[in-house]
Amino acid sequence: MFAAAPGHSFASPEIYQSALPLLVILVPILLGIILYFLKEEWVKVFKATSLVGSLFALAGVLLLLRMVISGQVRFNLIDFMQMGLFFKVDLIGWIFALIIALVWTLATVFSFAYMDYEHNLRRYYSLLTITLGATLGVVLAGDFFTLFLFFEMMTLSSFILVIHEQDSEAMKAGMLYLYLGIGGGLCLLFAVMMLFSITGSVDIAPAFNLLGGQRTIIFICFLIGFGVKAGLVPLHIWLPQAHPVAPSPASALLSGILIKSGAYGILRVSLVLFSSPDSLGSADASYIFNLGNALMWIGIITMFLGAVMAILQSNMKRILAYSSVSQIGYIVAAIGAAALMNGEGGMGFAGAVYHVINHAFFKAGLFMMVGTVFMFTRELELPRLGGMFKKMPLVGITFLIAAFGIAGIPGFNGYASKTLIHDALLVAMEHYELFSIELAEKIFVLTSALTICYFIKLFQGVFLGPVPEKLDREYRLPFSVQAVLVSFALVITGIGLFPNFVLEKIIIPAASILHYEGPVMEHLHHFHFFEWPPLEAMLIVIALALIIYIPGAWRGWFEWKPPWWLSIYAIIYKPVTEKLVAATCRMGVLVDSSVDNVYNRSGSYARKLCSYVVNIDEGIDNFYASSGKAARHLADRSTEMDSALDETYRKTGRAAQKLARQTTDMDKALNKVYDQAGQKTREEMEKMLAEKKNKEDRRERRKWSIENLSFDNLLLVLVLAVVSLIIFYFSRL
Amino acid sequence: MTDSTIIVLIILIVGLPILMTPVIFFTSRYSEKLRNSLAVITSGLTFALTIVLYPAAVQGDVVQQTLFEILPRLELSIRFDILSFCLAAISSFVWFLCTIYSLDYMAKEHALNRYYPVLILALGSCQGIYFAGDFFSLFVFFELMSLIAYILVIHEETEEAMRAGYKYLVMTIIGGLALFFGIVIVFELGGTVSLGVGVIVREPSLLALIAFICFLIGFGMKAGMFPLHVWLPDAHPVAPSPASALLSGVMLKTGAYGLLRVIFNVFSIDLMHNGGWDVILGVLAVITILLGSAVALTQTDIKRRLAYSSISQLGYILLGMSILNDNAITGAVFHIFSHAFMKSVLFLAAGAIIWKTGIRKITDMRGIGRQMPVTMGCFSVAALAMIGIPPLNGFLSKWTLSLGALDAGMPFYVLVLLISSLLNALYYLPIIIPAFFDVPGGDDHGTGDQHEIKFNIQEATPGMLSPMVILAICTLVFGLTPNNIAFILSRLTSAFLLLGGAL
Repeated sequence: MFAAAPGHSFASPEIYQSALPLLVILVPILLGIILYFLKEEWVKVFKATSLVGSLFALAGVLLLLRMVISGQVRFNLIDFMQMGLFFKVDLIGWIFALIIALVWTLATVFSFAYMDYEHNLRRYYSLLTITLGATLGVVLAGDFFTLFLFFEMMTLSSFILVIHEQDSEAMKAGMLYLYLGIGGGLCLLFAVMMLFSITGSVDIAPAFNLLGGQRTIIFICFLIGFGVKAGLVPLHIWLPQAHPVAPSPASALLSGILIKSGAYGILRVSLVLFSSPDSLGSADASYIFNLGNALMWIGIITMFLGAVMAILQSNMKRILAYSSVSQIGYIVAAIGAAALMNGEGGMGFAGAVYHVINHAFFKAGLFMMVGTVFMFTRELELPRLGGMFKKMPLVGITFLIAAFGIAGIPGFNGYASKTLIHDALLVAMEHYELFSIELAEKIFVLTSALTICYFIKLFQGVFLGPVPEKLDREYRLPFSVQAVLVSFALVITGIGLFPNFVLEKIIIPAASILHYEGPVMEHLHHFHFFEWPPLEAMLIVIALALIIYIPGAWRGWFEWKPPWWLSIYAIIYKPVTEKLVAATCRMGVLVDSSVDNVYNRSGSYARKLCSYVVNIDEGIDNFYASSGKAARHLADRSTEMDSALDETYRKTGRAAQKLARQTTDMDKALNKVYDQAGQKTREEMEKMLAEKKNKEDRRERRKWSIENLSFDNLLLVLVLAVVSLIIFYFSRL
Repeated sequence: MTDSTIIVLIILIVGLPILMTPVIFFTSRYSEKLRNSLAVITSGLTFALTIVLYPAAVQGDVVQQTLFEILPRLELSIRFDILSFCLAAISSFVWFLCTIYSLDYMAKEHALNRYYPVLILALGSCQGIYFAGDFFSLFVFFELMSLIAYILVIHEETEEAMRAGYKYLVMTIIGGLALFFGIVIVFELGGTVSLGVGVIVREPSLLALIAFICFLIGFGMKAGMFPLHVWLPDAHPVAPSPASALLSGVMLKTGAYGLLRVIFNVFSIDLMHNGGWDVILGVLAVITILLGSAVALTQTDIKRRLAYSSISQLGYILLGMSILNDNAITGAVFHIFSHAFMKSVLFLAAGAIIWKTGIRKITDMRGIGRQMPVTMGCFSVAALAMIGIPPLNGFLSKWTLSLGALDAGMPFYVLVLLISSLLNALYYLPIIIPAFFDVPGGDDHGTGDQHEIKFNIQEATPGMLSPMVILAICTLVFGLTPNNIAFILSRLTSAFLLLGGAL
């Protein structure tokens, strides 16, 4: 699964197996976790541990160089999550890792003095160290899945750095950062899953020809996922809110390093994943061109809007935050320019990587310098600051150097990368001769001029002018702060004076990994930074900056506050998110409550039905009851009638009794009469009966029966029988 | 392990809690301590006995045994396979921890002589569902569990609880009747309702569809599927917290289990696909997911929010069942595990907060994380797992489900999962972030002096904390690497089910 997809004509020359990448990531994370469980009072231990963590990471990254310069370092930890953790370090990832470790170390040292004025140090140092590990994980990851894991971890751990102050402003900014981060993370996850389901692998390897029809969706999802972190317009809104509220070393890292992880992802996707080792058909080539063009324009818009917004701010950290948005625009525009040139995009690639390096140094440096001012004055608003150059000359000088770097003044590092990016645009313009690229180049120049303008404004506001009375006291910078600021200044001038060193030692070998070729690479090999054409371009930019700044400052254009409704937040995010969330909730609640209602209503209907039945039942009951009443009435009546009858009967009875008595009397009298008459009759009767009896007795004696059977009768029968037998016997003869 | 050992073990697992119920009930007259310890021991023993079956489950042993006939061709039978084991193991594990948690949580409550026996009886009936060998036995245990759970729901006996309980009871009865109807139809169609014969209904027909819908109503009602979920957000919050953890974390899964059995042991994947029944399930699952998440966003009571979140999470499991391929089923089964861990932690932690401070409203929970760091820490881990932050187990299940959806060529489902994750973030983060990084008492935190406020740590008792901590560790351990027991079991289960699921 993790082997390079077959069919790639180029593989890295050598592959080293080493657990060093894992160690580089794991040690800071573990140290950070241990740190969290120490006692709150052990501030020195926190400092030492976090410094050890970052130094270890730095040493590890430096040790990787020997292997990386001639090949790739791989390490596979299959038993983690479903896909396994896979690390693959090539020179591109290594450059990012080196910058991360280096700037992190410096920021950690800077924190020592800065954070003494702050609270909750244990949490700060712990999360600082964990975030280092996570960020290194992003750039050392060998596949998009591992990258995603560390990306999420980085989002969560840096969230706590953002809300370190925990006041309402920080909480609001932090929540915005977190929601956008998680939303972006989900987009990224979707893209990774789509990639996995289509190609069967999540390797960071050319896969353009495998992606098929869904490549646009995948690209957009990747772009949103990484773009949130990188701060591409219009996904940048968290950045100007979150960076100023974080403690200065943390904002230095957020602006200088963390947003680069987004740029790193965009670079890997658009220059590695969306490339093909084989020659492309014309349709595919134009697809890639359009992709690159779109990306470049996103970068151009980001850089321009970021610069415009930066110049309108009055909070010094906010100026720097918008400046970061603008500078990320440079990087993405360079990546876009590299992508649209396809195989010949070496110049854009070199510009992008070079600007990543440079921006990390000058932006982190600038945040720390501004942070130093804030540390002593507790003031971020330009109108309430001023004259700090006299109070802190060292900070002023280093600030000036870093500002020269970011403005692209020859001799400082920004000049080298900006020249390369400008050249990349020019090369693309020559190659395609399109108006859009020409326009992009013009906006690039204008933005560079604006960059100079807002740095003049920033420098003037902080370091020049009268010192406000409140701040008029002696400031003594701690040694660690001085050392950190000076080292930033040294790096900036060092790269600025010898731009070809970095280009040839690191960037061109890195470009060769992506197999850039053509005359552009030839040109890049012998690139002369201090020749007339780039210097001329730079002079034009400076002149333009002065033309804009002087009338602008005179007329107070830069004090203009854009109304609230014009901000991207008010135009896009607020309505979209509010409507979306409200719609989702309302829909959900509506459906839910209507389902609930259906049940309740059907229940109540059922109950109503039941009550109808009860009504009917009661009706029947009533009927029975009333008929019963009627029956009782009837019964009562009949009882009355009955008793009346009874009475009647009784009366009649009495009368009848009387009658009966009289009758009885009469009867008795009659009886007597009868008795007398009867006695005579009885005597007569008795006589008659006796006679009759005698007669009957005689008649009975004559009657034949067994009792009456006399001997002579028997004898007669016998004689008769003998006679008849004799007759019968003889008659036969 | 021989078949007869397995049968004896299963009879013990189901029988022990049921037999111990009257014992616990009668001991409570003599000693509260004895009653409590008997409850804990019973649930612990049940868990231990279930775990003993692990080697048999992993080997792929399948046991189907008829105990006795109740009616002609309707028998009480037991079945053991890896799916049963998974569900029984996770249920008894969570049950055991929740019983321990109950000891302290319920100490102040009334009617404990009712609570403990009922809790243990519900455990027995729940295990009975998982080890039932045919739909008839399953139905018997299912109804038993549903009715017993009613007593847990109305434990508080407030008016609100009684109303919620009434709703629950009515819905349960509707579901039970639908289930019974489905079983009758299947019996009519196939002449058996046993789980051991493989596919019972092979031909799509109107009657089969009616049976499927009846099963969907019966089991979906328990699983909180749209539009049968209405009882859930009322019933879960009013129950005592350990009971809500069990209701949400474990008992909902009986519905999911039943549907898995219906899909694989009554009908077949082909039938699901041919009849387009998977689409029915898929549509309902998507609505359930989105609706649960969206409504959870508007809830202000923490337990109600958790209850709606359960609805949406059960939707994930249903979604896995509707996709029906290896990854999706693995994801669904693994999400049964994940959700059991995550949601019980969330309910237990919410319960601990309510127990200690009486706070139920989410807006009142600012700064609670500094008063109760362990409780809120566990809550946060589980909430992050819900959102799907790697390397917690919620991420692993979502990832697996999404792979399943993509394998089936349904990127739309992945989008649904991701939107739901975003909504999860929107309703869980406003609980946990103010809990740790804000102060109690409203919005006016502006001064920055809040760092000076010293919070007294007022934690819940160790007896309540330890179950939470164990479960929270589980959400981490079972997500860190796919080589964990839960994920391996899910993979094996998925393979087993896709091979036919009866054997």
